[in-house]
Amino acid sequence: MLNYNQALPKDTLIQDLQMKEIKPIMKLVIRGKKREFISAVGKSLNILLPTEANTSTQSDRLTALWLSPDEWMIFSNQPVDENTNNYETEQLLNKNISKLNLGAVTDVTDQFVMINLKGNKVYPLFQTGSPFNFNDFQTKKGAVTQTILTKIDIIVHNQDKNDVNLFVRRSFSQHLFSWMNDSASRL
Amino acid sequence: MFVINCPFCGEREQSEFKAGGEAHILRPKQPTELSDDEWAEYLFMRKNIKGIQFERWNHTHGCRKWFNIARDTSNDEIKVVYKMGEKPPSI
Repeated sequence: MLNYNQALPKDTLIQDLQMKEIKPIMKLVIRGKKREFISAVGKSLNILLPTEANTSTQSDRLTALWLSPDEWMIFSNQPVDENTNNYETEQLLNKNISKLNLGAVTDVTDQFVMINLKGNKVYPLFQTGSPFNFNDFQTKKGAVTQTILTKIDIIVHNQDKNDVNLFVRRSFSQHLFSWMNDSASRL
Repeated sequence: MFVINCPFCGEREQSEFKAGGEAHILRPKQPTELSDDEWAEYLFMRKNIKGIQFERWNHTHGCRKWFNIARDTSNDEIKVVYKMGEKPPSI
């Protein structure tokens, strides 16, 4: 990671709602349209990219989130070494995707902050500031959505029941975290 | 406020989208041969009708893809949503 500072001031626990930043997590955004692109990613990382909208797939090391018909985010399931920004996964994709002109690979490790939220107040919290209908979303394990929360762009990944990963751009993360703390205190 | 059925992500609220103006306006093939009035007509003049209008929209806070919709501007009812490059349906 380039930014060693904690993006969020501290972990919090408010009314059974636990919020904490998980770091350092490797995050890559990959873009490509060709069929060869999807199969090359599959062979390189041993993970099948989700082609169905608003879904994700997982291997033992990585998770792939559907962002749009030609865009995915791949992140590591476990924290990585914080002293380097060189990732084996990225190098592998650069070799098998970028160099062959099949698609694009962008390292967004430092751009996005990953916040893990746990507890049965997660969705009531989202409902106070997002226009997205989370009714079906919260019952589907692995569901993904990009939406807005208090006018901030977020990516939400329903990891498990009442266990959600939220990705937000680093420059918005402190404000969002502060808003979530404030909003959660009144649930 | 109304709900738009994004052809890629599904039903989302309008605040996730940005309107991109009237659809199916073709750029003139030879802009240098146009008069100022003709260029202004292409650049600025829009129908802006009360009734069914074909529009471009972008899902800015979602998949960031462009698509077209046919919307009744009098009551915001969306008649049809179709992808970029597809011909406008007859309504």
